[in-house]
Amino acid sequence: MPPIQRENYRAAARAALRDATLQRALADVQGRLGPGTAAAYRDLKEGPALRRQAHDLRMRAVENLDILLERLADRIEARGGHVHFAATAADAVAYALKVVRQHDVRRVVKGKSMVTEEIGLNAALEAEGLTVTETDLGEYIVQLAGEHPSHIIAPAIHKTRAQVGRLFAEKLGMAYTDDPAKLTWAARAALRQHFLNADLGVSGCNLACAETGHITTVSNEGNIRMATTLPRVHLAFMGMERVAARLEDHDILLRLLARGAAAQRMAGYVSYIGGPAAGDQADGPEAFHLVILDNGRSRILADARFREMLCCIRCAACLNVCPVYGKIGGHAYGATYSGPVGAVVTPLLSGVHRFADLYHGETLCGACKEACPVDIDLPRMLLELRAIQVAGDAAWEGRGASARERLFYGAGAFMTCHPALYRTAMGLASRARKVWSLNGALRRRTPVLAGWTRTRELPPVAATSFRKRWQKDPEDKSPRFGAPGGKR
Amino acid sequence: MGAIRKKRFLRTLRTALDRSVRPAPAFESLFPDKREAARAALLTSGRERSPGQRQQLLELLMARADPLNIQVQALPDRAAVTAAIVSLVQTSSTEWGSDKAVAAWSHTLLAALGLDAALSAIGVPLTVVAHNDRHWTRQRVIQSDVGITSADYCVADTATLVMKTRPGEARSVSLVPSIHVAVIGLDQIILDLEELYARLQDDLLKGGEGLGRCTTFISGPSKTADIELNMVHGAHGPRALHIFVITGDGT
Ligand code: SF4
Repeated sequence: MPPIQRENYRAAARAALRDATLQRALADVQGRLGPGTAAAYRDLKEGPALRRQAHDLRMRAVENLDILLERLADRIEARGGHVHFAATAADAVAYALKVVRQHDVRRVVKGKSMVTEEIGLNAALEAEGLTVTETDLGEYIVQLAGEHPSHIIAPAIHKTRAQVGRLFAEKLGMAYTDDPAKLTWAARAALRQHFLNADLGVSGCNLACAETGHITTVSNEGNIRMATTLPRVHLAFMGMERVAARLEDHDILLRLLARGAAAQRMAGYVSYIGGPAAGDQADGPEAFHLVILDNGRSRILADARFREMLCCIRCAACLNVCPVYGKIGGHAYGATYSGPVGAVVTPLLSGVHRFADLYHGETLCGACKEACPVDIDLPRMLLELRAIQVAGDAAWEGRGASARERLFYGAGAFMTCHPALYRTAMGLASRARKVWSLNGALRRRTPVLAGWTRTRELPPVAATSFRKRWQKDPEDKSPRFGAPGGKR
Repeated sequence: MGAIRKKRFLRTLRTALDRSVRPAPAFESLFPDKREAARAALLTSGRERSPGQRQQLLELLMARADPLNIQVQALPDRAAVTAAIVSLVQTSSTEWGSDKAVAAWSHTLLAALGLDAALSAIGVPLTVVAHNDRHWTRQRVIQSDVGITSADYCVADTATLVMKTRPGEARSVSLVPSIHVAVIGLDQIILDLEELYARLQDDLLKGGEGLGRCTTFISGPSKTADIELNMVHGAHGPRALHIFVITGDGT
């Protein structure tokens, strides 16, 4: 599978809205995890304010990333691990291919990792003739179905138990059942063989610790432990921003990660891995490679407006509360990262202009910021992106608004600054309104406005302008314009 | 090659961070240890727990373990632990093979349980990890239904077992068999993650063994909710987790 990069946001969103099964699944995941996470924050002994502390911790780490990564790499290398700094996705993939050749790898098992999705690792390994098996149950389902994950931590959330049942009956040759437990155990048995036969285990990293020189992997299934314990080689991928400075920082970060991701007090399995197994240890991989990936992150780092995004620990809490994600699901975002985090990160990594729909599609309601365990101000960055897209910005290849749009808003601005002109225009509009409001077709098809009016009502211009009403009676409290207290 | 690449990578970051100061500041000065006093207080209160407080921690552990599907049993002495393990092995069913087998760490607390004799009395072979024979250990652990370990700590608040990796303490014993049993002493139970990290950090700063090649936290049996958010235990790792706490003086 190539890395997913599609830009048919509107069509995909529309299709998602028509998919009743998907709508139920999304409502379910949000209904359970959204409120669960909020409750889990309240249950922190420090209260939800701990999120702010976590933000500061992460920000300080991000601002010293060069020093932290160097220390992390030095410590891992001192234990006999290999660290590769990859500037681009292609560079990371090339290194992975070098590792599989060097260790004569045939079979690969993978723990869940969004970064390997981002760089398109599976396709590259398969092209090399390797068998690659995703082992997170959700990822495994999605892989068998030939699809892509639709949620950061619940990749197969868009599939019903019946769909999984039919898929397993076809691909695993088992009798059809829609019992989640039986389906899980069937996958358990099939994947156990893959774990035992694999030469290479690939994992991501949820965090890392510079002080001690470890990566930290987190799972509930135990698949990442299997993939990083049983095969003779472990290859880990890490987005460069994931490193924390001190070991003690992980106390706060892990508690928040577990709450943000799954409303848990603590994840089922957390492992610190600092290198290959030592010679006197009875098991564990003989070789350990860590790929630290930039792939556009340093550009985010360089821009003070977006640097905060690198605090993200990819917990998916923002997906679980986002009203837009809750309707259109993960696939509509057309890239590895979906939801509010995707609406900011995807344009920054893959093109502000190309993925403009993503940040325009979000509502700026602020729910994501409230849910984020590290208190990232996603709505602010959505606005920054919109500003870049309108004003243009060479650093982000922002092309600026179209000539038509510029003319439209420019005229508006000019008018607002010239009261006499404004009065005249409003007077004309008010008179034109009768024709306009009588003729629905005209209203919907006025060329410049069609994009807006296809799915929305353009409200008719009021008979008496606000200026006139104000002059007549400044105390007028009639709720015509949805004044405070009036009906909207 | 690698060194040049690393240099270039880090130079990009320095430019992005607008770092003009050279040489770059040291880790210790950037991230000074601000928790020294808080940590010392936590360590002291941990050391000075009264028997009553230890009992309370045990109760907290039990309360937190229950919803996580972890079975905690408080047992008065080693003999009781051995009996509990024998009964667990007898009543459990095998998942992968036809013959029951047990694997255990090579560890002083476990060695004192006399498991070899107790299990052979019911006809079940016991494999004790031999760190000098990786291949043999791997084969035997894969064939085992029950894996027995101890732990460095058990965190009551989150029901978390903390295990470092030492020569006889294979990672796979707590992972590959269908059932994981951890045997710990009452004094290994600590309050919460904050206390845990205080201890780990203290060990690190004092030049102790640190986190080594691998340190694992386990807070429950393997679980997944990937199919319609239904919780199912036994996704990949153990489908059951038992913590046996020796409440007496360990004899
Ligand atoms: S932006 Fe915040 S809530 Fe969203 S994935 Fe990142 S850390 Fe989680």
